[in-house]
Amino acid sequence: MSELIPIDLAGVREIPAEIITSVKQSVEVTFESISGSRPEYSENGSVDGPMNGIIGHITVFNSHHTLTLMVAIPRETALSISEVFCGMEIPFDSDDMGDLVGEVSNILAGEVAASVEQVGFTGQSSLPTVTRGSDLKLFMPNKPPTARLRFEGGGGGFWVNLALCESRRRK
Amino acid sequence: MSKIKALVVDDSKIMRSAVKRTLDQLMLADFEYVEAIDGEDALEKFSDEIQIVFLDWNMPRMTGVEFSKAVRQKGNTEHVPIIMITAEKSMGKVDTALNEGGANAYVTKPFTADQVASVLSRYIDKDGNIISENGEQSEKKSFFKDMLNFNKQ
Repeated sequence: MSELIPIDLAGVREIPAEIITSVKQSVEVTFESISGSRPEYSENGSVDGPMNGIIGHITVFNSHHTLTLMVAIPRETALSISEVFCGMEIPFDSDDMGDLVGEVSNILAGEVAASVEQVGFTGQSSLPTVTRGSDLKLFMPNKPPTARLRFEGGGGGFWVNLALCESRRRK
Repeated sequence: MSKIKALVVDDSKIMRSAVKRTLDQLMLADFEYVEAIDGEDALEKFSDEIQIVFLDWNMPRMTGVEFSKAVRQKGNTEHVPIIMITAEKSMGKVDTALNEGGANAYVTKPFTADQVASVLSRYIDKDGNIISENGEQSEKKSFFKDMLNFNKQ
């Protein structure tokens, strides 16, 4: 068990900085290897409006804690990623686009799992799920710790939202 | 050059296509593909005709490592190289796949053609035929050691 995060998260208001840093680095490495250009973290990108796009959901978890990653990719960014990753633009409304964003989320979770292990959070990644739609608004859990990270890349911007919670309800 | 029958196992159709496209572009061999969407599907499609396996880890129903263990437990499958192609990157996972799962090599996603070529060169000769494995364990350990050193750089 890691000493980085107490088992009981009742008194934890923020995701530990070490985990945030690991996730930021993982996002940069993953999207650079997928899209060919390294995205940059945007300090001022935490506030956003409704999105027309696609969201990959995946978790890195152990028996105590679950770190949820929500990769929110606007339509134009998703189209750009598909062109680089697949060698051709995939129709946004196709099953293949869902498949692609699921795989991107899976690759990111693998990188995050390896990275956060270095700072004391050992976990395994779940299978991804994907949601696509228009006028999407991401609601974070009411209770912290959560974080919303905005990145700007050559193919467009995107968000990675994080939520840390206990893996099972304590009695 | 005779065709090599390759089993490509991944729950992502995009990734199966990426693996096949990379193998075709490398032109190291002439491949004939059998595709499977998870470990269970792969186990049903695994036969004596399969000569090499490209295998994802995280899949529904049966994981890649569970499939690999099951194939090795069948017996007389040591000559079939199993190449893990997965997003799992931690050294513990690599160790599990190679030493517990019975996989021969490990490539992390997203992979490059050069990475795949480097791994394949140990299993396919210059004429595009599968190399019969001798001293598999020592080669595997050597690769694992190389990978550990690579990750320390």
